[in-house]
Amino acid sequence: MALNDITLGQYYPADSVVHRLDPRVKIVLLIVLIVAIFVAGNLLAYAPVIAFLALVTYLSKVPVKMMVKGIKPLRFILILTFVLNLFFLQGETPLLNLGFAVITKEALITAVHYSLRLVLLVMISSLLTLTTPPIVLTDGLERLLSPLRVIHFPAHEMAMMMSIALRFIPTLLEEADKIMKAQTARGADFESGNLIARAKAMVPLLVPLFVSAFRRAGDLAMAMEARCYHGGEGRTRLRVLKCERRDYIACAAVAALLALVILCGKVY
Amino acid sequence: MQVTLEHVTHTYQPGSPFQATAIRNVNLTIRSGEFLALIGHTGCGKSTLAQHINGLLKPTEGRVLLDGQDIHQKGFNKKEVRQKVGLVFQYPEHQLFEETVAKDVGFGPKNLGLPEGEIAQRVQEALDKVGLSLPGLAEKSPFELSGGQMRRVAMAGVLAMRPEILVLDEPAAGLDPQSREDMLQLISSLHRQGTTVVMISHSMDDVARFASRAVVMEHGTVVMEGAPEEIFRHPEELERMGLDVPSVCKLGMRLRAMGIECPQDIFREEQAELALLSLWKGGAGHGAE
Repeated sequence: MALNDITLGQYYPADSVVHRLDPRVKIVLLIVLIVAIFVAGNLLAYAPVIAFLALVTYLSKVPVKMMVKGIKPLRFILILTFVLNLFFLQGETPLLNLGFAVITKEALITAVHYSLRLVLLVMISSLLTLTTPPIVLTDGLERLLSPLRVIHFPAHEMAMMMSIALRFIPTLLEEADKIMKAQTARGADFESGNLIARAKAMVPLLVPLFVSAFRRAGDLAMAMEARCYHGGEGRTRLRVLKCERRDYIACAAVAALLALVILCGKVY
Repeated sequence: MQVTLEHVTHTYQPGSPFQATAIRNVNLTIRSGEFLALIGHTGCGKSTLAQHINGLLKPTEGRVLLDGQDIHQKGFNKKEVRQKVGLVFQYPEHQLFEETVAKDVGFGPKNLGLPEGEIAQRVQEALDKVGLSLPGLAEKSPFELSGGQMRRVAMAGVLAMRPEILVLDEPAAGLDPQSREDMLQLISSLHRQGTTVVMISHSMDDVARFASRAVVMEHGTVVMEGAPEEIFRHPEELERMGLDVPSVCKLGMRLRAMGIECPQDIFREEQAELALLSLWKGGAGHGAE
């Protein structure tokens, strides 16, 4: 069923160095890598990024197929980016004259540049979610954001909300699947018809789904209170995050990569 | 009408790390007019099997035949299967969505493309069957009703399609004793009126009371099949699978363990009543001597 095809935010269980990295380190490094991708001034500067991505993918034991699957939903945006840049950018050195448009070398380079940037961004981000269980991820995020408490930023509440939301995605998907089946058993048709007919067909799915989501939310709140949950203050944690040697190595590697990317951009 | 499952195997998410085979090489024929009970431990594949009967799930291997026709072959009208085989899921009240009870019950017939008059007639008929013909109830929101009433509305939603086979996944789960009894009586009366019933149940008492045949599943395969009387003759086997025998069977076993003579084949309350009565009379007779 189509409901099982969501890769972004889907954890791939495996035992690897990348999986074992501290989530805080991974989140910070992801931000640095994104910066590196945006800093990359020319195509040459992408080479180290691609090499790094390949290395990390290899180390993480995540199948390449899973990584590629993450790009699939983006294919239209990718094609659009590429085509628009290719045809509408004005450059100096014409490569091909199609009559209605002239493709220039500069336009081609920019088109490749932007498409590549998009692909790399998605792949690197999904590498984080593929190698980090969502709960660990929110844990890391909470710790990273906790200094913001001084300006009354509700870091714990945010993280708790995210954990709960993430925790319930599979539950709600399962529920949606069940309701869809129950309505299909009563002859409902979710697959054919035009856009309006299909939107209307979603009502028998969405109403019960919302009703059950609210019921679950009520039950969960009650159960949490029954176990004396009262917010983040004074809460100790089950998994205490600690940076180890591999985390420092990872930081050093990414710092080196960033330097290399900047260097490549300057030299060319 | 008859549904046959031939070597049906179903694997969820094949090829992914979450791959799981729920049922394996199941062969089963649902005969017209029977009351078939499907029993087994939680996670043994009963629900997956049930969803194959009306074509909601497609077998990974094997075929599902409706009167000899493969329901997954090209050109076969799925809607016909869905109409003939009514499937009532676990907690069916969770699928209610319409503004009024009547509209919700009419959802199935509407999907079949029936005219308004026919829909209204079927809604009335289905609500009558489930005992919800109170005046004004049809125009209420289904969310205003009690749990037991909601379940009956959901049940009416399936009955309004006039299925020939009714598949029920634990229809009495989570109901209070009165609603539970009402629900079972309703199913039993539908069966007497000619509907073929397939019921998943954890209550061996219900199985003994109503079923004409029982199928026991374990780890996705059928391990026992036969009349409830035959199945309940193997209490050790059932216990090993985490299942049970009817409570009157247990009573009989205890009595025999205490050295009191008591016939073997007691599965229903009426039988137990008779046996106990004769025991008591016999005992009273001894006392008089």
